[in-house]
Amino acid sequence: MKKSRMRFIAPIAVITALALTGCSTSNLGGTAEADPAAEAGPIKIGAVLDVTGVGASLGVPEQNTLTMLAKQLNDDGGIGGRDVELTIIDNQSTEDGAAKATSKLIESDKVDIIIGASRTGPSLAMRPIAEAAKIPMISVAANVAIVEGSEWVFKTAQNDVVVLERILDDAEAKGYTKVALVRDASGFGEGVAEYITDLGAERGITLTMTEAFEPSATDFTPQMTNVRGSDSDAVIIWGINPSAGLAQKAYAQLSVNKPVYHSHGISNQAFFDAAGDAANGVVAPMGRLLVADQLEADNSQREVIEKFQADYSAAYGEQPSGFAGHAFDAWHIAVNAIEAAGTDADALRDELESAEWTGISGVFQMTAKNHSGLDASALILAEAEDGRWNLIKD
Amino acid sequence: MLTDFLQLTVAGLSQGSVYALLAVGLIAVYTVRHVINIAQGEFAMLAGLGSAWLAAAGMPLLLAILVAILSVTLVAIAMERLIIARVKKLTPLISIILTLGVSTLLQAIMLLAWGPEAKGVPLFPGTNLLIGGVSIRSQEFWMIGALVVVGGGIVLFYEKSRWGKALRACAEQPVAARIVGISPVTASVLAFAIAGFVGGVAGVVASPIYLSLWSGGVLLGLKGFVAAVLGGFVSFRAAIVGALLLGVIEAYVAGYVSSGLRDGAAFLILILVLVVRPQGLVLKPTAVRV
Repeated sequence: MKKSRMRFIAPIAVITALALTGCSTSNLGGTAEADPAAEAGPIKIGAVLDVTGVGASLGVPEQNTLTMLAKQLNDDGGIGGRDVELTIIDNQSTEDGAAKATSKLIESDKVDIIIGASRTGPSLAMRPIAEAAKIPMISVAANVAIVEGSEWVFKTAQNDVVVLERILDDAEAKGYTKVALVRDASGFGEGVAEYITDLGAERGITLTMTEAFEPSATDFTPQMTNVRGSDSDAVIIWGINPSAGLAQKAYAQLSVNKPVYHSHGISNQAFFDAAGDAANGVVAPMGRLLVADQLEADNSQREVIEKFQADYSAAYGEQPSGFAGHAFDAWHIAVNAIEAAGTDADALRDELESAEWTGISGVFQMTAKNHSGLDASALILAEAEDGRWNLIKD
Repeated sequence: MLTDFLQLTVAGLSQGSVYALLAVGLIAVYTVRHVINIAQGEFAMLAGLGSAWLAAAGMPLLLAILVAILSVTLVAIAMERLIIARVKKLTPLISIILTLGVSTLLQAIMLLAWGPEAKGVPLFPGTNLLIGGVSIRSQEFWMIGALVVVGGGIVLFYEKSRWGKALRACAEQPVAARIVGISPVTASVLAFAIAGFVGGVAGVVASPIYLSLWSGGVLLGLKGFVAAVLGGFVSFRAAIVGALLLGVIEAYVAGYVSSGLRDGAAFLILILVLVVRPQGLVLKPTAVRV
């Protein structure tokens, strides 16, 4: 009796494990059917976003933004009388999902330009496909590796290097010499430790330790315990929500009691939802969207930000996040370029390389060398207090 | 050094408590129906998301939690009545496919109802403690406490109460149990109710610090599954010990080795146990022990 029962459990365990790994996802992509490509037909814009999975707090507002903007544009008559057809595919926050979606957009939907993905990893997976097919792509993720040396790929989120410069400048001004890093183990966190070491050297700041966490992680006690025991003056937590928010919560609850910086990956409400009161005192560089009400009246971005906030909250009943802003900028840069150059891929790419756009995440100035278009002036430093961000004036 | 070790242990024990509750639910169902309930983790997420939603809508926290746990218990009973009970010849393979279907269905419902973003129940009342440099979060007391009260209660229920003994009888000698008048239908419903209840409790106590996510039940359920395997799928006590051990090992691996290997630890344990010691941590395996 005993033996047969035990033999019985082993195969069940194997089947269970197989079944679980294979069937844990679902698709929420709001895909539209594409007509066969026609010269005068609709202009086709594809988007690959992290709508479900660990990037959901980025992908959902981005999907909302693109859907809203596409509707606005078509209500206003489209581009030069041609309708714009937007196809959004959910990559489920995975690299292979992003790669498959990109191939599908290019091969069967025959899109003219691609926006996405929300995070660095999936964006990096899309890059070689867009490059090979010679289709312009505008990522809304952060890591500079997405656009470095690329011919066809652009991006709208502020570069991680610029963000780190901003953090390290502030750390230097405050007299910190040793920093610890707790970073996202996925693409977003790649290279961050190396940048801190390089950029810190010029500022007399050394990186004492690096801890990593999966973007799907929920318990951060081990990382924060190690940080607590380290001899660092300040800590940089580098991730997106909800994991970065949960990390911040563990940080406060484990009484690490060191000043803490976050990346621009937390510029949304999900940070406060996950971290709660533990967010108070966090300093992070970010675009001007979340502190728009505190900007000088003559700030060049103020008008576009306020219109976006009004439109977005009218459509979705909540304020847009920094990520919604990245999608907003990508959309307008794409649409402006199509208006000027049409849908011929080479002409469109050349047009994008000289794109200028005063947007949500900053004032863009693309060049052939700089496919990101933003410098440190795109970022402000803000401090969290009771569920909102206070602009730290220079 | 010692502080760090104790800190990791606390985190591991609280996380392990959640695994233990899920393992209790898995074993309760398995011993009575020989069904491996893949949807066990979804019960936890359903309760977490449900109570977060109710609390956000203005319901007092305690009431929101009770309503959510009760609802999930009813979902589990409905699952038994509408699906499991309808199958005439329930082989383990069919049971896995069925419960996998329920799991996917529940995930889809949660995704449609509450969206793809993680949500958390507000923290339960209590204060965080700092003892000799080791910080213990109030929610961790609630998690460990939930295991002591609910997990312990269910072990006592099985060992001391008439109903519990009847459930054990069904598990050990289904035919004889039927002859002496124990209804297999009642036993099956009760087993699923227990699974839903403990899953719900695990989901709400973990949600304030680990958050609830429509797709989060899969990995959580799998951890519970590993713990249940450590209990040989028959012993609550061995599974609870195994779950706490699993939680603590995960915390040590993440703290001392690499956080990336954290989830890998559970699967490594699963493979080792199945190959080397399929009866799990059960010391003196009898035919069935619950």
